[in-house]
Amino acid sequence: MSSAVLPMEGAAASPRLESFSYDDVIVRKFLWATFIWGLVGMLVGLIVALQLANPIFNTSLEWLSFGRLRPLHTNAVIFAFAGNAFFCGAYYSTQRLLKARMFSDALSKFHFWGWQAIIVSAAITLPLGFTQAKEYAELEWPIDIAIAVVWVAFAINFVGTMIKRRERHLYVALWFYIASIVTVAILHIFNNLSMPAGLFKSYSIYAGVQDAFMQWWYGHNAVAFFLTTPFLGLMYYFMPKAAEGPVFSYKLSILHFWSLVFLYIWAGPHHLHYTALPEWASTVGMLFSVMLWAPSWGGMINGLLTLRGAWHKVSEDPILKFFVLAVTAYGMSTFEGPLLSIKSVNALAHYTDWIIAHVHTGALGWNGFLTFGMVYWLLPRLFQTPVYSKKLMELHFWIASFGILLYVVAIYSAGVTQGLMWRAFDTTGRLAYPDFVETVVRLLPMYWLRVAGGSLYIVGMLLFGWNIFMTWKRRPAKYEVPVITAPALAKKYVPAPAHGAPVPAGLWARFAAAGWHRTWERMPITFTVLTTVAVVVASLFEIIPTFLIKSNVPTIATVKPYTPLELAGRDIYIAEGCFNCHSQMIRPFRHETERFGEYSKPGESVYEHPFLWGSRRIGPDLARIGGKYPHLWHVRHFNEPTSMTARSIMPAYPHFLTKTLDFEQIQSRVDAMAMIGVPYGDAVRGQAPAMARAQAEEIAAEIEKQGGPAGLADKQITAMVAYMQRLGMDLRAQPTTVGVAK
Amino acid sequence: MADEKDPRFDRLLDHEYDGITEYDNPMPRWWLLTFAGTVIFSVIYLFDVGPIGNGKGRIADYEAEVAAAAALQPETPSMIDPSQLLAMASDASVTSAGQQVYASYCAACHGPDGGGLIGPNLADGFWIHGGSPEAVYKTIAEGVLAKGMPPWEKSLKPDQMNSVTAYVLSLAGTSPTNPKAPEGDPYTP
Repeated sequence: MSSAVLPMEGAAASPRLESFSYDDVIVRKFLWATFIWGLVGMLVGLIVALQLANPIFNTSLEWLSFGRLRPLHTNAVIFAFAGNAFFCGAYYSTQRLLKARMFSDALSKFHFWGWQAIIVSAAITLPLGFTQAKEYAELEWPIDIAIAVVWVAFAINFVGTMIKRRERHLYVALWFYIASIVTVAILHIFNNLSMPAGLFKSYSIYAGVQDAFMQWWYGHNAVAFFLTTPFLGLMYYFMPKAAEGPVFSYKLSILHFWSLVFLYIWAGPHHLHYTALPEWASTVGMLFSVMLWAPSWGGMINGLLTLRGAWHKVSEDPILKFFVLAVTAYGMSTFEGPLLSIKSVNALAHYTDWIIAHVHTGALGWNGFLTFGMVYWLLPRLFQTPVYSKKLMELHFWIASFGILLYVVAIYSAGVTQGLMWRAFDTTGRLAYPDFVETVVRLLPMYWLRVAGGSLYIVGMLLFGWNIFMTWKRRPAKYEVPVITAPALAKKYVPAPAHGAPVPAGLWARFAAAGWHRTWERMPITFTVLTTVAVVVASLFEIIPTFLIKSNVPTIATVKPYTPLELAGRDIYIAEGCFNCHSQMIRPFRHETERFGEYSKPGESVYEHPFLWGSRRIGPDLARIGGKYPHLWHVRHFNEPTSMTARSIMPAYPHFLTKTLDFEQIQSRVDAMAMIGVPYGDAVRGQAPAMARAQAEEIAAEIEKQGGPAGLADKQITAMVAYMQRLGMDLRAQPTTVGVAK
Repeated sequence: MADEKDPRFDRLLDHEYDGITEYDNPMPRWWLLTFAGTVIFSVIYLFDVGPIGNGKGRIADYEAEVAAAAALQPETPSMIDPSQLLAMASDASVTSAGQQVYASYCAACHGPDGGGLIGPNLADGFWIHGGSPEAVYKTIAEGVLAKGMPPWEKSLKPDQMNSVTAYVLSLAGTSPTNPKAPEGDPYTP
């Protein structure tokens, strides 16, 4: 098979034959990166799972505590594992679907090495505590710029390939790639707009409610356009390839593609139900999520029904098994997504492990298994030798499936258990579990089961790696590079003579025959623009009111900016990733206000760059922690949490008591905040370090007076105590009874 | 699939991409109906028709929830008689229960044996907020926020409140290992 002549379009097309070859070198590179980073990301996942099961796994090294490693796990799995898998499959399939080599080998290489460099920089900076504190957008601004540059290079390479294609129409897989490439760029750029305060520190230009909105517009659509649409594209190529049968329905492809792209982008606010986000936004987020159910399932149906007539193959072919489970997991998690977005369901699930279980059904099942099936299908084609062991593939499938089952069953029950414990009242009208830690330790057996399930998945991953490695070892001395011959596209499209059905009569019938869409498929640039319009218009419908409607965020007169020392403490809180376990957003439910105090108001967050509302409560909410305990309590608690709460699973932070606070640096932080609109005024100009020192000395003296250690005035702990003691205090300064102190 | 008898079913389109072909099959009807159903539901919800919708809104719902709970429960749990508390302080079955509550929630600040740590010494007969049974109960129940003593009334059950008060009263006159210097005023019953 050294050359192949591919069929051409309508006979009238000019038959100028061109010879070319596909770049599979880059595909092989991405394949290796997929496996290596996948293993790394999952091992970090195992470490954080162990840390939750027993805090001793946080070790005494500050770089390896849960708050710093959890973002490394999510970023590695999303952007390194799933990202490289998408690129691997996209570079392979795009060239073949367009009958063209990639536009530029240099851009392909730049994309590959640039992306790996970004991953390495993430793996270094996240444990060092450089973070923007926005989920899945933690990386600091220099890395964000690098991501944008590499992504644009990928986009140019992709569009360039479409332009020089030799296939007239764009296949559905390419539609999904286009949507992914365009939307990820938009989301990434607009969510990461920030004010730098040094090389590895920045503050989001948005604050509070708006920042929360932007973050979850991004966060939800990172799931949509990084983990869903790219993989639907991959599914549309690799599944019919592996099943050797036609795709079930072209019409379904059209409808579910456009409805998915248009509806998905609205759904973000469902991550913020019952928070200080305006209720209208929350409602819109919920309804668009409900309407997303069918469009999402359109992909699942088209995938599963493509296997009609091939089901007997599934029992023999492990690749198809992986695909079937992937698509089924996709169906389950995209049914669960709309369900979770319903407010009353979300009231129970939000802040609990239910969400963690939900994303792992998606990540381990859908993204993982689709990747495994795709790579196994690619192995003989890329390494030009049969796969080393089909038996190992089967074993991988069963071990990993069992691992997923164990993981999600344990974590679903953990989520529901904790959600129900939080809201339980006893017969005297008191919280049934007032001690927060009680609702945490109840989950520990489930956390150990998760460790077991995750470990099985990783064992599967090792079998996967062994199979890749052994297949690679048997590769030929020199890879054959088939020369492909195909006619260039004529300038003008001449349709092939219609065979089959005649053009239907009637307006609706003609519309339903989708000839108009066929036209779009011949125009890649138009198609890209239309996709962009769908995404941007839908976004603006929500973004504009969020920023412009004043009544979204009623002002609270007593809310003031943080003092310089409190701001420094907040920066440490961010660096340590405290927001990964502690929310600062009390929802208007009696069980929350009984436990944590008055529910959070939008006006309280107006100086919160970035917002720190959190998404998971592994520890208690901190929105009203200020003034609840004496300084010394915090000192001892940070130093050794179990000394104050015997069964706490929080990591210890003894280094707060020994590390010196960089007072001089605080000025640049305050200045950056002032630049984005926090009203610090003249008093702080150049005075921030002195003000911080004065407050630190007061706090240190108070700690000593309470019987604590002396000499803490220049240590980080004073900033942390200052920040903790400030949280929620502004609202308390507000007269709450109507008619008093007017 | 109900549509499979349709002669138009499984008719191949003249689409071909790298060997992949596509059927011109109609979309499954149940799927289209589901889609339409979610759209209709959303419209109804948006216009808040009947039970479907936001109703009065989340804050009004919360206030109703609080009001309903307040109507169901008496305002404050009644403290038992001070003399009864005093009697309980010398009842070993009560104080041992109180000691368990103390170990879980109080020892972190007041020391495992009441000698004081972050919080004051509870065994020296000196009291900042009063040493009478009712004063001790009140301090535990309502806390002293300014000094970092949290209120425990909402966290502890009535019998736990009583037993831990009794236990604290029973500490008077014991000699903790690392006693903190006395604070406040002496109290003599």
